[in-house]
Amino acid sequence: MLNIWTMKRKQQQDDNAAAASGTKKKKVTAAQLRVQKDLSELSLPGTMETTFKDPDDLLNFELKIEPDEGMYKGGRFHFTFEISSEFPHQAPKVLCKEKIYHPNIDLQGKVCLNILREDWKPVLNLQAVIVGLQFLFLEPNASDPLNKEAAEDLRQNREGFKRNVRQAMGGGSIKAEHFDKVLITRV
Amino acid sequence: MLKQNQESCSLPPRMDRKEYRLLIEHRGAGGLGCEILKNLALSGFKDIHVIDMDTIDVSNLNRQFLFRASDVGNSKAEIAARFVEKRVKGVSITPHNCKIQDKDDVFYMQFSIVICGLDSIEARRWINSALVNLFDPEDEDSLKPLIDGGTEGFKGQARVVFPTLTSCLECQLDMHAPRTAVPLCTLATIPRQPEHCIEWAHIIAWENDKPFPALDNDDPEHITWLFQKALARAKEFNISGVTYSLTQGVVKNIIPAIASTNAIIAASCCNEAFKIATQSNPCLGFEENYMMYSGNDSIYTYTFKHEKKDDCPVCGNLARELAVDPNITLEEFIASLAERAEAQLKKPSITAEKTLYMQAPPQLEKLSRPNLVKKMGELVGNGDEIGVTDPSLGAVDFKYKMKFSRDFASTA
Amino acid sequence: MTEIVTDQTPPVLHGPSDKEKKYDRQLRLWAASGQKALEDAHILLLNSGSGTVGVETLKNLVLPGIGKFTIADDSIVTEADLGVNFFLDEDCLGMSRSESCVRLLQELNSDVEGQHYQFGRDRPLEGLFSDATFTLILYTLPIDSNNLTLIQKYANEKKVPLLSIHSAGFYSYFQTHLPGSFPIVDTHPDSTATTDLRLLTPWPELSEFAQSVTKDIENQSAHDHGHIPYLAILLHHLARWQSEHGALPSTYKEKTAFRNFVSASTRTDNAEGGEENFEEAVAAVLKTISSPHLSGAVKEVFDYKPDEVESVSSFWIIAEAIKTFYSKHNALPLPGSVPDMKAQSTIYVQLQNIYKSKARQDVLEVLETVRVHPGGKDIPVTEVEIFCKNAAFIKLIHGKTSPASIVEIADKEFESDDIAALAMMPLSLLPIYLSLNATSHVPSASSSEIVATISKIIPSASSNPRIVKAAEEVARAKGGELHNISSLTGGMVAQEVIKIVTQQYIPIDNTCVFDGITSRTQVLRV
Repeated sequence: MLNIWTMKRKQQQDDNAAAASGTKKKKVTAAQLRVQKDLSELSLPGTMETTFKDPDDLLNFELKIEPDEGMYKGGRFHFTFEISSEFPHQAPKVLCKEKIYHPNIDLQGKVCLNILREDWKPVLNLQAVIVGLQFLFLEPNASDPLNKEAAEDLRQNREGFKRNVRQAMGGGSIKAEHFDKVLITRV
Repeated sequence: MLKQNQESCSLPPRMDRKEYRLLIEHRGAGGLGCEILKNLALSGFKDIHVIDMDTIDVSNLNRQFLFRASDVGNSKAEIAARFVEKRVKGVSITPHNCKIQDKDDVFYMQFSIVICGLDSIEARRWINSALVNLFDPEDEDSLKPLIDGGTEGFKGQARVVFPTLTSCLECQLDMHAPRTAVPLCTLATIPRQPEHCIEWAHIIAWENDKPFPALDNDDPEHITWLFQKALARAKEFNISGVTYSLTQGVVKNIIPAIASTNAIIAASCCNEAFKIATQSNPCLGFEENYMMYSGNDSIYTYTFKHEKKDDCPVCGNLARELAVDPNITLEEFIASLAERAEAQLKKPSITAEKTLYMQAPPQLEKLSRPNLVKKMGELVGNGDEIGVTDPSLGAVDFKYKMKFSRDFASTA
Repeated sequence: MTEIVTDQTPPVLHGPSDKEKKYDRQLRLWAASGQKALEDAHILLLNSGSGTVGVETLKNLVLPGIGKFTIADDSIVTEADLGVNFFLDEDCLGMSRSESCVRLLQELNSDVEGQHYQFGRDRPLEGLFSDATFTLILYTLPIDSNNLTLIQKYANEKKVPLLSIHSAGFYSYFQTHLPGSFPIVDTHPDSTATTDLRLLTPWPELSEFAQSVTKDIENQSAHDHGHIPYLAILLHHLARWQSEHGALPSTYKEKTAFRNFVSASTRTDNAEGGEENFEEAVAAVLKTISSPHLSGAVKEVFDYKPDEVESVSSFWIIAEAIKTFYSKHNALPLPGSVPDMKAQSTIYVQLQNIYKSKARQDVLEVLETVRVHPGGKDIPVTEVEIFCKNAAFIKLIHGKTSPASIVEIADKEFESDDIAALAMMPLSLLPIYLSLNATSHVPSASSSEIVATISKIIPSASSNPRIVKAAEEVARAKGGELHNISSLTGGMVAQEVIKIVTQQYIPIDNTCVFDGITSRTQVLRV
């Protein structure tokens, strides 16, 4: 056999044979370990909360954001996170569950955030993505929009845009487009 | 037959290639698989397995020479195996018409060398990680040299990995240029290139209109729908250059491929396999391990050593064996981790196939807390791996392979 | 808006043809024009020796759809052939090797026509050349000297490219003999190398455009300011720089200062704390703010004196016209493409059109010169267009015009071997070439015979341990081929044939040596 084989040769242990012939041993994948690390180090303010439907599936969860300042204050927004086995080489897939009036989130819930697509790097973590999402509610960006109408509205008339955001958050319609009610009603 | 060949080309003494069982993994449109199969059969290897989940498409016929027009729609692995067995006497080829991920460690353990002609980074990373994890320092047979080939146009590369001993495919990920993504907002509001219009049709228009239940990249009707959407958008913005071919290329991320480059790269891979098996000459691996080939401008090869990365998440972080009494609770186990010299953990989170205990976020902590009083033997099996992370470790994390120090006395 | 160019021919709405489907992956490399050239070609393989490397080469040409191929061979299939040649099976034993290989190769592609020519005592090789015409000839070594003389004579007379291939054991080499000079227009340069924006010499339309989109730049809305194409940002700042400094930035130091000057104009009072288009502008300074210079390859074309036959070819007529254009404008015709950059769609399309129409203007000027040439009347406009677009990357391969003598080459190669370890350079593969070359006309030879043959040209050969080692390996192979080495070599030769036949990409000049032990190649001009 090859030198490297013998190089590495040590006492063969009995249970190895058992392991090779027996049941499939469960391995920890690089993606799993990384998500575990990112999640256990998350430090979220009181305005945000994660929910895991299945605690054994760390790759799929929901994030709730309740902005306490800015134009979207008083709303409650949910984002689904879908993390592939390619993480962190592939960005997590994030979608807004509600249909909302926002220049950087389209009516299907797609989010235009650079680090979710063109600027994603493996060194970035889930904390960075979550902070980025929070930022979108504090500073909606009219310059590079996904929802063109909302962006034009924001650019041309900030006050009018604010009113439209409130109306949409209350479950109203803007230009014949109906939006989901996201305002928190405290009882 | 082979004897004749050996006589006419006498080589240094070597081990019999008959003892070698090789696995070829092939996936995708590139088409290294046919070449590799032919080369191994004509290099005297007798026991070859091939995995390929794909069926034959008409666009394969200009490179994948084991297939004929009448084979279109059939399993690549099966047709290829049958063809080469018929042409080269005395070789046994076993086809597996499935995904590489469908096979387990026991399957991979039976081979001496694994050769890949895969067209996706995902599949490469999977097999690389599987072979690294398969390696057991106490079992010499668990070391499976991995030979990987890839092509793009007139260029390609061949590389050899001795899992855990030399730079692995994960260490070399930076050698693949990432596909540049265009911001979603550019696609949505300010398209400038034909590709932007196609991506818009692909990502946004398809979702809105849902013309078919699910997008099938190989269905011409679907591609035509995307093409027409993209074309209409391009017209709206005065952008020229949207064609059917470009649409197909962008949506399927088509990499140009030609028979001659396949021949070069496949033969280079098989030459390395031959050198490993015969030990007739030094193979790529321990010193130089990477051969880059470019035929665009004259011919240029660069053969070099890609260094192993200490912080590689795959080969730099192997599972350590950890003796554990399956009758202690998870809480006691966590306390014992804190005492281990290399770990000295303060707030460890632990997962196995299931989540054992997560310190954060709060909801997950709450959900996993009941596990703390459970016995280790209830939570993991003997030989399973667990992953341990802790904020105090910084970028480091640990993998442990559970080795039960005594039998688990089930309380149930 | 300056001008809306509607030159886009509406693409056909139906899907690709069967042929486009079959050849899709290669058409993305050499397009329909390259495919047509392949389909019009007729390749001859004069097969000798153990016979695998030539057949492997043909496989890689039959698959992409070469028009026609012919194998000429005088061998009969033996047991030994079956172990290395995939295009022979047991049923072929005792039959004509050329006929058998043609039959099995032909199976690969029904679009291709294969012919065989089994020569021997009753049927001399000469007969092959009586009525067939070949686009390119391959022959494998070792070869009978008389046969070699015959095909060399044919190739010389008909000006047909000739390629020789030798594969034995872990070694191989191949050599191209091109008839005279071999110019290439479509060299497929790296897409990152082709940006040519002429920012230091803007023409009036471009300057006007830049001025219009940077008008009152300080007071533009955040949206407008954040969408000025970087090209206009650079032109605007160049104009300001020139009025302040009296000249454009030219040294590296000035360019970095200019880069800071551009960077300082970025607005940071926004949510992102910067602007993408300004980032793009800053990143593009060093690459785009430089006066274009002629590459050595283009100079070589300009300096070349084509002979009478060559000078009436369309390449040299257009090259001459471009040279005239260059001496008048001190610049090559504008290629006319604009890289993608952050901008509003309409503004970007407007900018694209400015470059396109300038490029078209340049083409017309070159075309005018071409038409004045007596041979230039019928040269298609598209050919002039393609030439102008690629002008900065045209290349001339000399073929076999007087390379250095083998002794000079050996001196140079072995001299650099002495410092190879220090310079971390791989060792020369010339010993492999010399050793294989020494067995060009014999089926096999001992290592001492090989070294003796080499010594006739390089007297010091026997004292060079690397030559002796290579000779030993060649001797050990006894003329036998290793399938992997022949398959790999056949792949490289097929790439070269494709490059020569399609006149796209850049062929080797003129010898490529492969060492299967160290997995390296080296290209030498021998």
